[in-house]
Amino acid sequence: MFKNEEMEINLGPQHPSTHGVLRVKLRLDGETVTHCTPVIGYLHRGVEKICENKTYFQGQVWTDRMDYVASISNNLGWAEGVEKLFGIEVPRRAKYIRTMLTEQNRLASHLLWLATHALDIGAMTVFLYAFREREYLLDLFEAFCGARLTTTAFRIGGLREDLPPGFIKKAQAFQDLFLDCVDEYETLLTENRIWKKRTIGVAKLNAEDCIALGVTGPVLRAAGVPYDIRKAFPNAAYAEMDFEIPTRTEADTYARYLVRLAEMRQSHRIIQQCIDGLPEGPVMAKIPKILKSEVNEVYHPIEAPKGELGYYFVGEKGGLNPYRMHVRAPSFVNLQALPKMIEGRLLADVIAAIGTLDVVLGEIDR
Amino acid sequence: MSMLRTLIPFDIAGGMALTGKYFGKVFFSANRKKIRTQLKHFTQEYPEVKVNLAPRYRGRLTLLKDEQGEIKCVCCLACEKICPTEVITIEKGKKEGRKMPFPVRYDFEMERCIFCEFCVESCGFDSIILNHQFELATYNREDFSIGMEGAGQNMFIPSPVGRHSVAED
Ligand code: SF4
Ligand code: SF4
Repeated sequence: MFKNEEMEINLGPQHPSTHGVLRVKLRLDGETVTHCTPVIGYLHRGVEKICENKTYFQGQVWTDRMDYVASISNNLGWAEGVEKLFGIEVPRRAKYIRTMLTEQNRLASHLLWLATHALDIGAMTVFLYAFREREYLLDLFEAFCGARLTTTAFRIGGLREDLPPGFIKKAQAFQDLFLDCVDEYETLLTENRIWKKRTIGVAKLNAEDCIALGVTGPVLRAAGVPYDIRKAFPNAAYAEMDFEIPTRTEADTYARYLVRLAEMRQSHRIIQQCIDGLPEGPVMAKIPKILKSEVNEVYHPIEAPKGELGYYFVGEKGGLNPYRMHVRAPSFVNLQALPKMIEGRLLADVIAAIGTLDVVLGEIDR
Repeated sequence: MSMLRTLIPFDIAGGMALTGKYFGKVFFSANRKKIRTQLKHFTQEYPEVKVNLAPRYRGRLTLLKDEQGEIKCVCCLACEKICPTEVITIEKGKKEGRKMPFPVRYDFEMERCIFCEFCVESCGFDSIILNHQFELATYNREDFSIGMEGAGQNMFIPSPVGRHSVAED
């Protein structure tokens, strides 16, 4: 009477828990996922090609629109990559301010991740708490550069302007309050039995698989590999900062949650060091009005909230724009771990797996 | 011990206590004006209460005039060149009694502007700013093409300047 057949369903692209326009083709046997194919490209804008037709100065605005929840990290990668290509040395104060803003942006990104990930799995309360603090951070970005999401915060050679008056005071006020807020999230989630049931042992990805698939960021660190670009190839002012790389060995969703929370505490520490040790001086290096490149190529990786974000530039002789520009987007590379994580598991775990990878589709499709 | 933990839901109780704490704070202060003004609210009742914007907020592009009411722009075309989305079109012209060139046309296609402020930065004569206007939606596409003339929107209409700054709180 009943036929035992596998069924194919689409998850997304309009499904609210796919965080954008990700479509996942799933083949189901009952409730077990037997096969999974992520389908991407709904948000493709051709950012790399556009940037090849724009000058080094203009290209930065497109990086905002790749990973739009962590646009300051993207700006940092672009600015530092171009500076590396031209051999520009940035003043120390600018480096410190860049580091501080990037870390605040990491907090904002992780908060958004925490809020939406918990919401997907069914914990509504955390969403409200996390967005409360994120609001504070977005106000800081607005005060610094005039926009909350598409920041275009940095310039080649430094910053456009110094910090606005009162910025440090407000950032310090946030510092004073933030650790208690992290404790609040922990109260709501860490010991919660429903949260534990939904996350422990779910979407496992061990260290070998992570490395084989090129997965970076918190997913890799939750598998026990202490790889962080901020320590491995220090950029901005990270070489002068004192912080730790939190790792876990369980390699499941719960471990990634703990790693990200620990990372928030470390980011808080870095911001505090930036505020305390903020040097005086100019914020902009002396650079020529028109940047003309030589034949040269650079690859510049930075640690974005999602993982290793790399910018690859090829310059041509006398070129005003990059001959070739490529972005190694962390979400794009991390997404290929999705089939590995969920094949043979239940349909409900797919949502947890997508959430724990922390993908942003603007960055995947570019 | 673990059995006891399973039976008595300490974890749930902890979460409930936190929620209860915030609920109590809001509940007991909701109708008392004195306490309500002290509490920091994170949501704003936007259309009724105008949002506070930072002084550096990037809104719509505006042309400035100097004290004599003369347009400050001298048609150096720096802004036109730097604009990443190429939304500014300027036509150079002459005006009686003015040495510097004078823009006969200054067109701004707002629907493609990404509010990056590169134009303002490149202008060496401080003749444009991004104002604090953000309610820019209209019903017709043509309304986004803003020029020097025009009844609804034009390049000179100033906007309310943000009252808020981080230095104040
Ligand atoms: S804000 Fe940016 S996109 Fe808009 S007109 Fe100025 S340069 Fe062009
Ligand atoms: S850069 Fe300034 S002065 Fe030059 S054309 Fe633009 S608005 Fe006019």
